[in-house]
Amino acid sequence: VITNPYTTQDWVAVAPLFIAGGVALIVLLADLLARRYANRYVSIGIGLAGLIAAGAYAAASYGQPPHNAFGGGFILGGFSIVLEEIIIVSAIFSLVLYGGIGREDRVAGATALMLWSTAGAMLMAGAANLMTIFLGLELLSLGLYCLCGLADRPTARESSLKYLILSSTASGFLLFGMAMLFGATGSVTLASLTSPAAASNPLYWMGGGLFLVGLAFKLSLVPFHVWSPDVYEGAPLPVTAYMSVVTKAATLAVFARFAYAAAAPGSSNALLIPFFIIAGISMIAGNLGMLAQTDMKRLLAYSGIAQIGYIVAALAGGTPLGVRYAIYYLVAYMFMNLGAFAVVALLSTDKEEGSRIVSFHGLAQRRPVLAAAMTLFLLALAGFPPTAGFLGKILILSTNVNAGFPWLAGLLIAGTAISLYAYFKIIRLMYDRHAPPQASAAARAPLAYAGVAICAAFILVMTFYPYTPSNVLPLVK
Amino acid sequence: MSLVLIVLPILAGAALFLVPRTDRTVSRATGCIVAAVTFLLPLIAGGDGSITARWLSRPFTASLHFAWDGISLWLVLLLALCTFCAVLATNMGQTRTMVALLLLLEGSMMGLFTARDILVFALFWDLMLLPPFFALIGWGEHRETAWRFLIYNFSGGLLLLLATAAFGVLYGSTDVIGGAGHALVGGWATWIFAGFAIAFAVKTPLFPLHTWMPATYADTPPPMVSVVSAVQSKAGLYGFLVIALPFMSAAMAQWRWIFIVVSLISLLYGAYIALVQTDSKRIVAYSSLSHLGLIMLAIFTQNTIAIEGALVYIVAHGLFSAALFLILGYVEQREDTRSLTRLGGLGKVNPMLAGALTIAALGALGLPGLAGFVGELVILTGVFGAGYFWPALIALIPIVIASAYMLRLLQDIINGPEVKDIPQRPDLTWIEGFAVAPLLAALVVLGVYPHAVTATVAALFGAHSL
Repeated sequence: VITNPYTTQDWVAVAPLFIAGGVALIVLLADLLARRYANRYVSIGIGLAGLIAAGAYAAASYGQPPHNAFGGGFILGGFSIVLEEIIIVSAIFSLVLYGGIGREDRVAGATALMLWSTAGAMLMAGAANLMTIFLGLELLSLGLYCLCGLADRPTARESSLKYLILSSTASGFLLFGMAMLFGATGSVTLASLTSPAAASNPLYWMGGGLFLVGLAFKLSLVPFHVWSPDVYEGAPLPVTAYMSVVTKAATLAVFARFAYAAAAPGSSNALLIPFFIIAGISMIAGNLGMLAQTDMKRLLAYSGIAQIGYIVAALAGGTPLGVRYAIYYLVAYMFMNLGAFAVVALLSTDKEEGSRIVSFHGLAQRRPVLAAAMTLFLLALAGFPPTAGFLGKILILSTNVNAGFPWLAGLLIAGTAISLYAYFKIIRLMYDRHAPPQASAAARAPLAYAGVAICAAFILVMTFYPYTPSNVLPLVK
Repeated sequence: MSLVLIVLPILAGAALFLVPRTDRTVSRATGCIVAAVTFLLPLIAGGDGSITARWLSRPFTASLHFAWDGISLWLVLLLALCTFCAVLATNMGQTRTMVALLLLLEGSMMGLFTARDILVFALFWDLMLLPPFFALIGWGEHRETAWRFLIYNFSGGLLLLLATAAFGVLYGSTDVIGGAGHALVGGWATWIFAGFAIAFAVKTPLFPLHTWMPATYADTPPPMVSVVSAVQSKAGLYGFLVIALPFMSAAMAQWRWIFIVVSLISLLYGAYIALVQTDSKRIVAYSSLSHLGLIMLAIFTQNTIAIEGALVYIVAHGLFSAALFLILGYVEQREDTRSLTRLGGLGKVNPMLAGALTIAALGALGLPGLAGFVGELVILTGVFGAGYFWPALIALIPIVIASAYMLRLLQDIINGPEVKDIPQRPDLTWIEGFAVAPLLAALVVLGVYPHAVTATVAALFGAHSL
């Protein structure tokens, strides 16, 4: 007799993934039937409904004790649910942007791919063994390879191919590291990596190192970051917005789980410190890279490299508060980044000229409200008050000081000082009164305007109500 | 109640952006009413207007806590008065935008001066940099001035942020300003103090961190620069008084001589450069460097009398430098130049203007009977009384030089041969006159009755009052 080893609770834990993935099929089916009609709105509408349903379903389990689904393959807990929500909200924003500026005949495919990628990212958010981590990562990446190429520019093909090759290389590192970790501990679950015997095995160190290199690639930390500006530039704008938050959030979830729970006792510092060092270098190098950019997408790519450095720094020392502040800053980063991308999208035509920095010249004269919103997002990215970026930085700085990593705090300060010029350069351009007149693209995306407003509101409100989820720990059971 | 001081100007400033760009009357009227309300509110309401709400409980406690007691009250009044005068004096292209920025500046600085929490203080510290930055990109003559202003001051702000975080972690709370807390102890205290001190020294400014200041003051339009130089430059001094002095006095004593020496260098260097400059705004800018060096010297002697003098001088400097910048703005508006070599003979054609300029300049050079004199005298007494003979003696030199450069300013603008190729312009209108009158009147009142201010310090730091 074959007994079913899985309980209903296991299936409940992964139901949001299945909702997202299943709705993608409905989108494709509906596209077949509704191709002649308002295809754009049908696809986006179904996609949004699916994401909202998945988000609502996931949120319903919030507050319950953590559950080890599928024998430890997927953990449903405060941390995974919060990360899932972050991923879903970013996917909703990106879909809205795609609905505004994407090409009609591609909307259905893009929507389906984005939903599948989202399912992969959500799997990573809860993945607690090496197999599910890899499964989620590949599902996320496969969708993105195609999404990156969904534009008519030649750079789109470059973007897609570059991402495919480099990301596969990173996956190779990751997989090789996983194999060694398995060899060292005899188990694929992250929780079992903590056995003290593992620390004395050289395979564990090599495996852990390779695993972290793979993660650094995906997080685009220096020196594994060079792919990200090129890929971001070539990809369609909504896809860039999507990648800049979802990939990073999902990979960050894996890293947090590894750093907080899985690194063997005693080994954790020695293994993770190089990772925090490259996070520190990313803060400097990412912000330096921003200075010379003339394209918003490239600029935000470099900005993202530095911002992820800040978030990783919050995890240094493994303090219980650190992971909560990392989440706080991640949410803040999501709103400010998506808000900035939404403004860029609202200035764009099909050819996406809006992503060039010159298109911001004199924006305050033409579109004062949009310019004000963009100013707020840039201030938030620079860590200026009264935005969540300011408070997030204070929280990260204090965890660093508390956990004995003052040098990371110092690097964060230095990096922020450098970033100032890059962010304020755009603000200055927008408010330049001697700007030559130029035509502004006609925006036809009311939802994107709503998105800008929501992002701006959250950035302001989060500053004065710094709510962080209290039930994120333990990350591994 | 104190929240009104912050929220009202910020909301009014933001609302002004809805008024048409070309408007003059509505925006100036709004600005004047708001500034007047913020001036009168603390006087009428009485008490300390305290309001508090928990902000953070981890990793240290922080509260959105505001009040206007003690030293804050003087800076709040000074700020409201200077804003009122600056709004009244605003008469330029884009008046509406300037008034809106002035109100935003007032709101953010009200937040700074009424904050009872260091984290809130740090928040408003960064926020108050934005209006001058926008003024510089809108009206500045040189593009790099705005960058220099922003990068210098925000880098200082970042150090302040790091120091605040470290302070909070070590102390457990940042809701400490004006309270009866114990001093910060431990080896980190001296470095935390260094973080605060550098941020404060950049903003004041203090030699050698002053290089952003002359260009900023010269490039910023007169209404904005009058508030920036009169009040914003006091933010650092205020920080020393309410954060460094009560909580890090040991670290302050440790760094004392370094700061005494750079204060003296600022004093002498500022005075010397003011003596040779020909741009009238830059003369006042460098004189500010010199005068603020004197206040810094007073604070670092950690002597009660010197600090009483410092507070009087903080207010006095605010009054005369705001007046000077506004009046020099009038001169520039009429004659289209700030260069002393191109100006002259205004006394004959614009007697009202010349009279106002004379009073302000005399206040700046420390004429007895005006508030500046009292401040200088009390500071020097305190510094000398605390046993710092040589610093007191050296500080006397720039006070003498001050007479030279201020009289030179007066002589070149008011007296001297009339410059013929500059068209004659009308004398002060009654609004322009009314805009500087309160500042000059306050200068006289405080000069005659400084006790109002010194009593505040005496109440805070004990010891006897003058």
